[in-house]
Amino acid sequence: MSVLTGKKKSNIIKDWRQQPKSIEKFQFIHHFLPHPEEKTRATLLSNRAIIVYCAAMLLIAGIFRFLPKVVPGVLGYASDISVKDLLTYTNAKRKESGLSELRLNSALTSAAYQKAEDMFKDQYWAHISPDGTEPWDFILGQNYDYIYAGENLAKNFKSSKDVVEAWMKSPSHKENLLSSNYDEIGFAVVNGVMEGYETTLVVQFFGRPRNAAQVASVYEEQTVLEKESTRTAAVSEREKEPATEGTSEAVQKPVYTQAPSEKPAIDVTTATKTVSAVFGGFVGTLLALDVWYSRRKGLHKFTGHTVAHLGILILVVASIWFVLAPGIVL
Amino acid sequence: MKEKSDLHIVEYSVLLTLAFIISLLFYYFRYNHGVLIFLSGVSSFAYILWGLIHHALEGRLTKFIATEYVVFGVLIFLLLYTVLNF
Repeated sequence: MSVLTGKKKSNIIKDWRQQPKSIEKFQFIHHFLPHPEEKTRATLLSNRAIIVYCAAMLLIAGIFRFLPKVVPGVLGYASDISVKDLLTYTNAKRKESGLSELRLNSALTSAAYQKAEDMFKDQYWAHISPDGTEPWDFILGQNYDYIYAGENLAKNFKSSKDVVEAWMKSPSHKENLLSSNYDEIGFAVVNGVMEGYETTLVVQFFGRPRNAAQVASVYEEQTVLEKESTRTAAVSEREKEPATEGTSEAVQKPVYTQAPSEKPAIDVTTATKTVSAVFGGFVGTLLALDVWYSRRKGLHKFTGHTVAHLGILILVVASIWFVLAPGIVL
Repeated sequence: MKEKSDLHIVEYSVLLTLAFIISLLFYYFRYNHGVLIFLSGVSSFAYILWGLIHHALEGRLTKFIATEYVVFGVLIFLLLYTVLNF
């Protein structure tokens, strides 16, 4: 470390006084780089600055929570889930475990749609509705006489694969998915607004009919899938043209939405991930600059370990971007 | 000098092991947001504790450094919580 003599020091101060712009430049640059004299990090990495970032994160999280109450449907979860894919992935998991494939049943499918619509209508997310209606009531309501029945629910997921993977990760849902007690299955994939957020609910009903001869045939399954695909196409068409006249029977099928079932203006998953990655990335970049500058200038600061902070922050940002996925199962 | 370097290696090994275990748990419970929020809290607390113990053993734990680890721990938790809360 070099030590300035009194004369040299006074010359530098004199020069700076004559050039106020260089003082400003010196001060500005230390918003981003460590202070050699004070032996501290950049101003934007000070404890105060980190507290400000924490407050900003809290404020943004608060806005994301409050906004749907004021403007429902603006924030939401964009998804690409289909009954066909859900059936394929479910049966693939059963096949891997040496179990028979489940057949798509029209009565279970209708019951699943009714359950999803009921959840949107009464704004609940549970197996039993606030008025005490149980999943079995929806199934029996479709005259499906069963020996065994089961229900899995999912919301806010991005893809069909993610839904099935999440069910497989949860012991109770996995038990339903891989149960040898079931022969048939029904799915509902319904868009709507839940607690102010535009989202997609998935209902999965399992069943074994009392009369084994009633198990859906391949032909019946194909018919349900075709109806499902017609319904999806009709709903997409209706979204594009809300004033279309002569709605088909498929559109009149139970697709309950409290708001137009459009993609949300802001995908809440992408928005929160971006906010976290931007804040984390900004602080991480300043920490990396701190390590580089301090090593280059041989600075020893009276602070914690920058490399440790940087390492943890990289791990957190990587987890946020690559590991965390939206979606809740019930 | 060598003792100090050995201590550093041990302490950083502890941090790396913790980070590795928590990463594995994060991946395993990636669809269970309740568990992930809990894990985020535990990770932040563990990091603060690691920083405090590390600097205490080095004999240079000051109020400023303690505050620094606390605010960084809180920032790490909030970065994860903002994503997991939705």
